[in-house]
Amino acid sequence: MNNRKASNEENNVLIHLENVWKIYQMGEVEFAALRGVDLQINKGDFVAVLGPSGSGKSTMMNLIGCLDLPSRGSICLDARDISRLGESDLAQIRGRKIGFIFQQFNLIPTLSVLENVMLPMEFQEVDNGVARQRALELLEMVGLKDRVYHMPSQLSGGQRQRVAIARSLAVDPDIILADEPTGNLDSKTGRYILDFLNELHTNEGKTIIVVTHDLDLIKYAEKVVYIKDGEIEKVEYT
Amino acid sequence: MKLSKAFKHALNMVMHSKLRSWLTIIGVVIGVASVIAIMSIGEGMEQDITSRLSGMGGDILTITPGLSRGRGPPGMYHIDSATATEEEVVLDRTDLQALKSILDISLINTEIKGSVEAYYLGKSGSVTLTGVDQKVWAQITTSEIREGRMLGSADQNVIVIGGRLADDYFDSPLGINKMITIEGSSFRVVGILDDQSTNIYMPIQMAYQVLDDKENDVYDSITVKIKNEDELDYAIETIEQKLMMARHVTEKDKDFTISSSKQVEETRSEMVSSMTTFLTAIAAVALLVGAVGTANTMFTSVLEKTKEIGIMKALGARNRDILAIFLLNAFLIGLIGGIIGIILGYLLSGVLPALMGGGGITGRFASGGVVTIESVLLSLLVAVGIGTLSGAIPAYQASKLKPVDALRYE
Repeated sequence: MNNRKASNEENNVLIHLENVWKIYQMGEVEFAALRGVDLQINKGDFVAVLGPSGSGKSTMMNLIGCLDLPSRGSICLDARDISRLGESDLAQIRGRKIGFIFQQFNLIPTLSVLENVMLPMEFQEVDNGVARQRALELLEMVGLKDRVYHMPSQLSGGQRQRVAIARSLAVDPDIILADEPTGNLDSKTGRYILDFLNELHTNEGKTIIVVTHDLDLIKYAEKVVYIKDGEIEKVEYT
Repeated sequence: MKLSKAFKHALNMVMHSKLRSWLTIIGVVIGVASVIAIMSIGEGMEQDITSRLSGMGGDILTITPGLSRGRGPPGMYHIDSATATEEEVVLDRTDLQALKSILDISLINTEIKGSVEAYYLGKSGSVTLTGVDQKVWAQITTSEIREGRMLGSADQNVIVIGGRLADDYFDSPLGINKMITIEGSSFRVVGILDDQSTNIYMPIQMAYQVLDDKENDVYDSITVKIKNEDELDYAIETIEQKLMMARHVTEKDKDFTISSSKQVEETRSEMVSSMTTFLTAIAAVALLVGAVGTANTMFTSVLEKTKEIGIMKALGARNRDILAIFLLNAFLIGLIGGIIGIILGYLLSGVLPALMGGGGITGRFASGGVVTIESVLLSLLVAVGIGTLSGAIPAYQASKLKPVDALRYE
């Protein structure tokens, strides 16, 4: 298994972190959240990033998700170095290539379920009719067809996370980046969400990166990255 | 993001913080409404005055019986027709003789005025009849003739009529040389004035016959034209002295009024325009406060929406998308506030003059506020401009938020 992965790496690399440092200036003191991280993630991988809180896994997720830039080192996405790009280009990449799923769901409370799912497509200036159609299909897929005009506050946690998943798929991104997606859910709903992500991975070939400290999640992942004190401890292939 | 979508989200923001949005909008409304109301009332008053000013000779003085409490044109103030004594105060031949002896006066016109029934081709109506001294009226009046001629010295049963009376007061137009019946007597129209009045002018001797209640040689008013307009004040003084002597009254119990309409109106015009400027300045402060309110709301909004800004950025919103949404939000507040403010200001400008109408500076101001297109566009522009401008800094700050920081914000 390891060998097969390794042989594919050459032409299949989607994300490549090379000696990535993230240093925060906290008053007089410098604090390195990441210390020279090297990591490769291939197209179609299901990766779990595991580590205790404060280990730097959220920082790594922010960097991979183009929400932040490294202090040192380079991050290549689709063979393009993003560590020197401007905010506008980063926004473009986020909008087209990455679908985010957050622990807090992060739906816009003043928009309906349908509008929330349509939002990423609006930033990409997708035609309104097309966006609407796509959003409805996605909501049907996550089983919320009868909730499209509800407001997020009218939904349960699991339903909200399903809306968030539908939203993350809106622009059909290559990468789904999930930060503790099950953290705020009971185990049953959590399992539904993970099964759904797994389906996306197997059926649609999406690259899925999940940041978590939930050990349950490991059995879904093909590759588990253990992170501690800003460094990668080990990478396991399951 | 398309502008229409940004607009939708801006509108959504306004709708979802209703109370705060409305409070901010009220701030803008108060500012715009007060500016509009004050500007239009001022404009109305000035137009009113200007229209009357243009129709006035600067060298014409009007003498009326009774003492007004100030030196204003007749009708502007309450006039004590009967002063200390109950006896009616009138202007008569004695006064006329006194005026004739003044060298500064070139022309004297005596007038009586009354309401009469006029009949023409089966239709009748009540109109104002003015009896004038036909020998001088043509030279002293500021009215212009449109058709026919003015009254002449030899005229008897002829009249000059106002433009509206000629055109559409009766069923069919009343033209030159047509006969009209006034209180039972027939008169021939010889001239039509270039105005919009329904007045009838006829020789004063005829008017005495038509208006039963008028006593011969008693005048409702006397207008005089003085020789030198520059010596107006001096002429007023002289006339005052002579008339007081002729009427056996002193400064204390003076029972007549001399008014130079133009002088009074000019002073009033100056007062109105400085008052308008002053009030507009105060209203502008209200508008400024509205702008500060908008800025404050926008800053609060940005703070409150920090997390949402972070989410939107994670979903691919570029800085300019966020900028557009927040700018449009401020624009909308300005626009809504501006529109409501203009409507309210317009309504106020109709109501306020009526409330102020009792006396004082707006005494005879009857035409209501004049809302000009310019003032509407200006206020709307200012409201929208101020709204957008005061939203600019908060919107810029919002757009510059780092996505990772914004997302972490709780």
